[in-house]
Amino acid sequence: MKRSLTIVILCAAFGIGGYWWMQRDTGLPVKQPLRFVSLAWQERSIAANKEIVAEWNAAHPEMQVEYIQGTWNSAHDYLVTAFETGDVPDIFHYESSIIVDYAMRGYLTDLSPYISPSMKADILDVAWATVTRPNGEIGGVPFLIESLVVLYNASLFEQEGIVPPTLEHPWSWDDLRAAARRLTKDLNNDGVTDQYGAAFGLRSSANIVMNTSISFGGSFFVNKGDHFAVEVHDEEKQLLQTIVDMLYTEKSAAPASIGESGAGMIPALFSGRCAMLIGIGAWGRQQLMENAPKDFRWGVMPALKAKTQMYGASTQTLSVPKRSPRPKEAMQFIEFMLNTQNMARLALNDWMIPARRSCLTMPEFRDSIGGWDITTAAVATLGVGSWLGAPGYVEWKSRVANPVLQELFAGRMNVEAAAQRIERESNIVLSRYRKRGDVW
Amino acid sequence: MTGRKHISALLIHGAIILYVVFLLFPLLWVVATSFKPTAEIYSGELTILPDDGTLDHYRSVINGQQVLRSMGNSFIVGVVSTVLVILLAVPSAYAMVRYTSVINNAILGWILVSQIFPVILVMIPLYVMLRHMGLTDTLTGLTLVYVVWSLPFVLWMMHGYVKSIPLELEEAAVIDGASRIQVIFQVLMPLLLPAIGASALFSFISAWNEFFFALVLMKSPALATLQVELARYTGMEGQARTGPLAAASVIATIPSVLLFILMRKWFTTGLVSGALKG
Repeated sequence: MKRSLTIVILCAAFGIGGYWWMQRDTGLPVKQPLRFVSLAWQERSIAANKEIVAEWNAAHPEMQVEYIQGTWNSAHDYLVTAFETGDVPDIFHYESSIIVDYAMRGYLTDLSPYISPSMKADILDVAWATVTRPNGEIGGVPFLIESLVVLYNASLFEQEGIVPPTLEHPWSWDDLRAAARRLTKDLNNDGVTDQYGAAFGLRSSANIVMNTSISFGGSFFVNKGDHFAVEVHDEEKQLLQTIVDMLYTEKSAAPASIGESGAGMIPALFSGRCAMLIGIGAWGRQQLMENAPKDFRWGVMPALKAKTQMYGASTQTLSVPKRSPRPKEAMQFIEFMLNTQNMARLALNDWMIPARRSCLTMPEFRDSIGGWDITTAAVATLGVGSWLGAPGYVEWKSRVANPVLQELFAGRMNVEAAAQRIERESNIVLSRYRKRGDVW
Repeated sequence: MTGRKHISALLIHGAIILYVVFLLFPLLWVVATSFKPTAEIYSGELTILPDDGTLDHYRSVINGQQVLRSMGNSFIVGVVSTVLVILLAVPSAYAMVRYTSVINNAILGWILVSQIFPVILVMIPLYVMLRHMGLTDTLTGLTLVYVVWSLPFVLWMMHGYVKSIPLELEEAAVIDGASRIQVIFQVLMPLLLPAIGASALFSFISAWNEFFFALVLMKSPALATLQVELARYTGMEGQARTGPLAAASVIATIPSVLLFILMRKWFTTGLVSGALKG
């Protein structure tokens, strides 16, 4: 007992001593650096971000930037508290669907007066469309485009004699379903399926469903002039029915898809438990390049064709809070951080599509290794969903769309019932925002 | 009859072993994952022991991110807040038990009510107050928040422990000529040590595991606490750097496990005494 007590007292003494030492060491510098919150999380991506910040700091001793690593899971709470209290970072990294909401709530600096004409012209229009309000205000500078891809196991395709689609000859959903049926097998004849033709990541499926439904002609959100309403018509139901059929009628999609994220299904692709992984972000290719077994051969499919090949895009962005006292300096840093060379570095390390035209012409983004050629070709078929600027969209996704879709894909209701529930519950959520008067 | 007893004991022990395995399995899984190469983690094969063990994730954690520094921050904040909580809670609990007044029940009620408030509700006003005092982005500010956050529950625990000590012991000491201070430090404190240990452990672990206050209040990378640092291994849409996250989690668990081992005797005694006699 005495020994334990001594150790505890020593720990306490060490803790208190260390505490005073730390306090002595944390005096504020005379000139505060610009604070940049980055959500990079992959080792290489973090390294690339830090290198760029270090290069800026070396070239701009009078205007230093402090790199702060944020986290995707808690970024929203962190930022909203910062916006409300006024103790904001000067620059932050996030995604377009959320900064749209921030812009409506008046949290962001309109960057349109600060953006250089060359940057404005070089970044793709579809990327600007994800962050620009109808009155021309810009809530952030888009730099990485998030698009959905289909990854496949090339060896299993070869064994089954299936020729993968090409940019010139993309597959329709019917082609994909036919291939998935052929690739679904009970390999040891024990009555249990050992290999599924397809898998999805349906744990939080609103993102996949919303962005993919555009190719079916669906939109979910309808702009009624003074407000948005959610309507689920045949176009929206078609995609939902397709997924449900693959899961339950054709049984060609792995049931594990229901509770897993796209990233969570990658091991199933590696082990041959599924032959295609549908609707994973382009970043998923990184896992395949870095972590696949040595003999694993894979490919990326061009966008699947429903009515069209048009898919919804969202972007990762850099924004400046309205309460930042130095928006002009912050924008100078953003111009540097996202110049052609740096944007290409960030995109290559995050395995996502760069938003600058000048990056897309680089050979690295035309390479077939890693599926860059097919992934970046999707830029031509990316569009912006009608939900952009719908007040309450972020809450709608988490409170209505994800839970209802999860129940649908878990087989607890049919598509018709899910559609009715989405319409009913959506409009309850959206009416709250309508009363609040948020306008995009 | 003896056979029946044996079967019953066997069943009970079997159930306990199963329960322990159930509790330990996640920990074993994390430890094993921390030694697996990334390709093996993603292979989709269910294995517990790594086929080809590696220390790469530990190297990545120690060299790449600021896990050790953040552990230092968490340790400092945890220890200081625990010491302050105990220094405040023991005399307060003693006063509440021994000096009965009409407001005692109201105070105890308020302590319970204060536990109901969700963190998010108090976050913004708290932040504004701390900023006016110049205490945001400082370990002092975070320590004060942890003290305020843990104090009600620790006070509640200590109240039960102090109440369980017979007043007659103190009276006997007073008859023998002890002063009030002597009574507290020479009679009461030794009896309260298990309770203090248990409360201190609770307070330390609360601070060690706390995430949201640390996330919002601490802006400088150098002042990040361990839980905030660990969250940085997770990405969007359920992705995570599983290997390094497991290695960092193992490292992060070591101090609290050590502390628990050192104080387990106090912890169990303290909890039981408070629970039964409070």
